[in-house]
Amino acid sequence: MLKLIKKEIALCLHPTAFIFLSFAALVFVPNYPYEVIFFFSCLSVFFCCMMTRENGDIAFSCALPVKKEHIPLAKMLVVIGLQCIILLLVGIIGAIKGAILPAEQYVNQAGISANIVLVGNGAILLGIFNLIFFPRYFKKPDKIGVPFAIGAIAVFLLIGVSIVLRWATPLYSITLNGLNSEHTGAKIAALGIGIAVYIILSAISCKLAMKRFQNIDV
Amino acid sequence: MLKMKMKSKNECAGRMNALEVKGLTKIYPEFTLDKVSFCVPQGHISGLIGRNGAGKSTTLKGILRLIAAEGNVAVFGKDIIKDEMAVKQMIGYVGGGFRYYPMNALAAIRKAYEPFYPTWNQDKYEKFLAQFGLSERKKVKELSEGMKVKFALALALSHGAKLLIMDEPTSGLDPLSREEFCDIILQLVREEGVSVLFSTHITSDLMRVADDIVYLSQGKILAACPLKELLGKYRLGRFASLAEAAEAKAIGIKSVKDGYEGLLPRGTRRSNHVTVGEATIDNIIVHLEKANEEKRYAEAD
Repeated sequence: MLKLIKKEIALCLHPTAFIFLSFAALVFVPNYPYEVIFFFSCLSVFFCCMMTRENGDIAFSCALPVKKEHIPLAKMLVVIGLQCIILLLVGIIGAIKGAILPAEQYVNQAGISANIVLVGNGAILLGIFNLIFFPRYFKKPDKIGVPFAIGAIAVFLLIGVSIVLRWATPLYSITLNGLNSEHTGAKIAALGIGIAVYIILSAISCKLAMKRFQNIDV
Repeated sequence: MLKMKMKSKNECAGRMNALEVKGLTKIYPEFTLDKVSFCVPQGHISGLIGRNGAGKSTTLKGILRLIAAEGNVAVFGKDIIKDEMAVKQMIGYVGGGFRYYPMNALAAIRKAYEPFYPTWNQDKYEKFLAQFGLSERKKVKELSEGMKVKFALALALSHGAKLLIMDEPTSGLDPLSREEFCDIILQLVREEGVSVLFSTHITSDLMRVADDIVYLSQGKILAACPLKELLGKYRLGRFASLAEAAEAKAIGIKSVKDGYEGLLPRGTRRSNHVTVGEATIDNIIVHLEKANEEKRYAEAD
């Protein structure tokens, strides 16, 4: 598995996979729907899958001495690794923003602030994207557009829901908004729920993708 | 479907086979690979032939599990489903040219490839690169078609593959490169005892290197036997008229420039109206396919 992951990183990662990680710094943009940062992570998955197709990587990998079901697993583990990095970066850069900017500038007028709840929300968005995109993609690895379009629509709908919740409910506008130092327990709970949802959805996605990939014809 | 009943010397039982394929079946909406069974004896070069769409690539992909096909595949006695990783270690696959990672340098591909093979021999790989005139600094897209095949061969052979499976490796190569390819394959078989299965529709390559022939038509095995046996089974009959050809019960009668041609099973009584010559593989394929086509039309009517 490690060899497959190394091959993925060496031959299949599109440069945008790394470039979009730097978009975590967008949390410094005032009054911006920060969940959009996670959409860029999804977009980098699309580019990587395009690169996989253009390189004939699936056929090349299938001829290697590996189990067929390990091929989607390796690809997904690389993506999950990148997603964990962007979640971590958003959390760290958001905390830095909280430490260096005054509280009134920290509060986001366009959505939730760059706190750990944003990381939890991002984890849910990415988990849902994984669940929608990968099982569809690994059923027909030549068809990337439709699975990505469905995943992207779901992600933007959820971003919309998150913004509405920010303005419509006191839980999101007061308790889960603002600095990490305020209502810390509730924020940690929201982060925990987000991470749990991400793990569960990604695990289901892996299982489905591996099962469907067994039946594809290269 | 006309099927040749051959008492084949290529029967799978009773000898060490590099590859045994039994009942390989793949059903597509428009095409069925129908219970394909054959074997490649150890140290032999077997040519997989048939017209475009006959199922050659499907067969090779089925053997390697690149497609989800039914049937049993064993390499040196090991079942590919039970021992997939061990079996694939023994196989070197060359899918035509090297169509992968066009923007990557050969060195990057080799670095990603070699960890999968504990038996990887870097000295051997470098020797092949030198022999083939390949530079690892080049990108795949910068290689000619012939060079791509050679790079694929260098990768496949440097991990000690005992069985080479190649899908139309000589397609798109000029005659000189094809000759060079055939020399390399013969050298590998003689010096390293490698067994080879390769698909092709360039019959001159088969005549040059193949020991055995697996002939596919419409997804079914029409013949699986030594090449000499197939060539020895038929002679080519030339007739002045269609009536004479039909009277001689020639197989796959076809109009040609100076009359009609058809295959005559060796040993059949020769009439006075026929000129008989040796049949080439091309003749055999053309006339058997013609006979099959006629039979299909007759069945459809």
